[in-house]
Amino acid sequence: MTTQTLDPTALPNLAEQRPQRPWRKRTPRFKLAVVLAVIIPAVVTWFLWQTSTIPTPVLLVAIYLPMQLIASTLASIVTRGRRGIADSIVIVSAIGATVFSLVILLSLIGALIVRGWKALSPSFLLQNNIYISPSTPLEYGGIGHAVLGTALIVFLASLVAVPIGIATAIYITEVRGRAVPYVRFFVQSMSGVPSVVAGLFILTTLIVTGALTQSALAGGLAYAILMLPTVARTAEEVLRLVPDELRTGALALGSTRARTVFRVVLPAARTGIVTAIILGIARIIGETAPLLLAAGNSDQTILNPTGSPVASLPTYIFNNVALPYPDAVTRAWGAALALMIFVAILFTLARVLSRGRLGR
Amino acid sequence: MSTAEFESVDVLESEITTPAAAATTELEARNVSVWFGQRKVLEGVNMSFPKNSVTALIGPSGCGKSTFIRTLNRLHELLPGAALAGEILYEGRDIYSRDVDPVHIRLAIGMVFQKPNPFPSMTIRGNVLSGLKLSGMKRSNHDDIVEETLTAAGLWTEVKDRLDRAGGELSGGQQQRLVIARALAVQPHVLLMDEPCSALDPASTLKIEETIRQLSKEVTIIIVTHNMQQAVRVADNTAFFLAAENEPGRVIEQGATTEIFGNPQDERTLDYVNGRFG
Ligand SMILES: Nc1ncnc2c1ncn2[C@@H]1O[C@H](COP(=O)(O)OP(=O)(O)OP(=O)(O)O)[C@@H](O)[C@H]1O
Ligand SMILES: [Mg+2]
Repeated sequence: MTTQTLDPTALPNLAEQRPQRPWRKRTPRFKLAVVLAVIIPAVVTWFLWQTSTIPTPVLLVAIYLPMQLIASTLASIVTRGRRGIADSIVIVSAIGATVFSLVILLSLIGALIVRGWKALSPSFLLQNNIYISPSTPLEYGGIGHAVLGTALIVFLASLVAVPIGIATAIYITEVRGRAVPYVRFFVQSMSGVPSVVAGLFILTTLIVTGALTQSALAGGLAYAILMLPTVARTAEEVLRLVPDELRTGALALGSTRARTVFRVVLPAARTGIVTAIILGIARIIGETAPLLLAAGNSDQTILNPTGSPVASLPTYIFNNVALPYPDAVTRAWGAALALMIFVAILFTLARVLSRGRLGR
Repeated sequence: MSTAEFESVDVLESEITTPAAAATTELEARNVSVWFGQRKVLEGVNMSFPKNSVTALIGPSGCGKSTFIRTLNRLHELLPGAALAGEILYEGRDIYSRDVDPVHIRLAIGMVFQKPNPFPSMTIRGNVLSGLKLSGMKRSNHDDIVEETLTAAGLWTEVKDRLDRAGGELSGGQQQRLVIARALAVQPHVLLMDEPCSALDPASTLKIEETIRQLSKEVTIIIVTHNMQQAVRVADNTAFFLAAENEPGRVIEQGATTEIFGNPQDERTLDYVNGRFG
């Protein structure tokens, strides 16, 4: 007996075949159900919003959300049977939670833009704060010195925290030495250190003793204390995800452990390591207290990492936001907006650069 | 050009030998071609799998055997860039038609993969029963199911005293038998096996083959194998895949296993089954 039972004349012509993705097609019934499930709750809510006096948040949470859940569940029962119920609840909750956090995030960004937009201009981004008093009009002065200061401090902090953090992670996951439990315990405890304590630590051990003055270096060291545990913990988690087969595979080729780590394990975890660094920078870049104590403040553009106090965006915002002058407050919002934009650019760059040709 | 010729030879022959096979056909591929991105990796596969038969897919590495069986239970579409043309009929219905729920298809057409993949967070017992939980399928007498399927997979005696240990603690071959038991627990109608014995010792391999023969009374089995003797031992039918350089894979010849191995019509099949290339 053979497996061939087909009539060749009934088959379509091979040359006419085109690659297709039939799994993306939806039945009309499915499309209709989805459209109805989206439109009906929205229309009803809109109608109530127009005609009744129910406050908008109550309307959204107490009426729209349950209605949307019910509508989606019905839609999936219609299209997929009972099996679809759990799916639809998960999907609607996930979309709901995403929208909720997006709304909060967007309103925050919106507030920043609305209040800070007026301040933003090329001169605002480039000039420093010399001869500027809180009542000086917006056209004069800027945050160039604070941008440079923040960049310098974060760079110095990364210079210290990134190598130590990754080395710590390598010790925990690759070296697996005897001190691992203690190291993990200390790293974990360090992540609980309040940022002001990091500033105080640098102040009392390095500045009061005269080893350093308030400066970018001192601020960077305070930042490094905060950044280190985040980098170390995140890097540890991503290194843990690298399958052991890769390690044994490299070792079986005669690789030393060091080469295994640097040529195989770290490259495999590259995007994750970049995430660790990004999270570390995100952890510190807005911290104000450590810089007030360890870096001080300045109106001038300072590029020398030691020797003199230096400005930074958080301290600039801190100093301006509570002043009784509208222009000063606008400057603070403008600085906050600028900080956010710089962070976004930096992180996007890091993502793009780390993507590479190979790997995940 | 030449393949078209051979296909028509096959069809002629089949019309003579099995005029009524269509009535019992459970799964059927019609002119299936497969792409990854712009690259065509499989072209014009026509094959039908009679109910409760065992079909072996053989051919050199990279000719598209795994790709083909992944199209049979809609796992292909999960890969990036995947595309497909042609039809796959299960019990007479196209499994890619848009009102078919892939979940149903995958439940009815189970699969065992090349690399054992027990769930690391579950016990041995939990792994066997995981399909029931994941698919929401209701079956009573879980203890019986565990014993039955593990016995069928030839693993029962080795693990019956440690059913509550992690599945990942087993050896590679034991893990493979564990995932076979796991696939059986949901009682599939069709079982796809992608080189299920490539990590097994000869004794376990024989056990699995025995299981396959046993199962084929109720289940339609499609097995990819690089082991010629295994194909001869377990398969009613055999299909030989081949991909010429820079060309998509094609079915060169298919038919009763005895024919493919004893009296192949194509030179290339003859060479391959005699281990002369590939
Ligand atoms: N995810 C993928 N993306 C792109 N190309 C793929 C992918 N998977 C497989 N291919 C390509 O498709 C072709 C067929 O691969 P497939 O894994 O089906 O071969 P195979 O016959 O199962 O080989 P083996 O006997 O080694 O398992 C190969 O050329 C391979 O490079
Ligand atoms: Mg394969």
